[in-house]
Amino acid sequence: MAFDAQLAMTDSIAKITLTGSLDASSAPRFKEVIEQAAVQSPTRLVLLMKDLEFLASAGLRVLIFAKQKMGAKVDIYVIGSQGPVLGTLEMSGFHHSVYIQDTYADA
Amino acid sequence: MKPICLPATLDSLDEIGKYVVAATTEAGLDTKAAYGMRLAVDEIATNIITHGYEEAGRSGEINLSGVLSDSSLTMVLEDTGIPFDPRSQAAPDEDDLCLPLEERSIGGLGIFLVLKGVDDFSYEYTDGRNRNILVANRPLVTNT
Repeated sequence: MAFDAQLAMTDSIAKITLTGSLDASSAPRFKEVIEQAAVQSPTRLVLLMKDLEFLASAGLRVLIFAKQKMGAKVDIYVIGSQGPVLGTLEMSGFHHSVYIQDTYADA
Repeated sequence: MKPICLPATLDSLDEIGKYVVAATTEAGLDTKAAYGMRLAVDEIATNIITHGYEEAGRSGEINLSGVLSDSSLTMVLEDTGIPFDPRSQAAPDEDDLCLPLEERSIGGLGIFLVLKGVDDFSYEYTDGRNRNILVANRPLVTNT
């Protein structure tokens, strides 16, 4: 499935819905959306990943970029990630730094 | 499986992914092993395209083949980019994996996922060609 990233800003919370396959060919698009969110100085980044079917290291590097760009105080929430994609996040130690939840109250 | 030959550009990753999915389905790998192989091949192909070709100012192709045996699925990527052994990149260790994201290095994650994703990985450079060889063990079939 082709990758897509859609940004919605609500009350200084940046929500990005990710779908499809996130690898080196699509990571620039994700990074572009992160930069769009960052200029609005969000207090929280919520990534809706229920329909993200594939996640390679290029996508993980954009998550690192997001944290470094937005600052350590901006918490990152990963919502709805499942199966091997969730496995990749955990295997790579990202669960130490982001909040992983099945659902998000205002999602 | 019939090998495929694709331009060494990031646009080829989608086609490479489809080939790997077909191979892992034919091999009867479970979801985790199939995903691990797809991820590993994607990472290696990305390395070849970016380090072996683009950063070296070269263009070329990637050959990808899948070989099934009774016990394993072997995927082989061949290219004529500059010699590049993915194992030369330091994979993050346990301490690195526990660091906060803002302190994480962005390097080495790819080879880390390759080594985690398959049962065996090897690399060789012969006759001007890089060969990356990835192996996933097939589930044992018992005849009753």
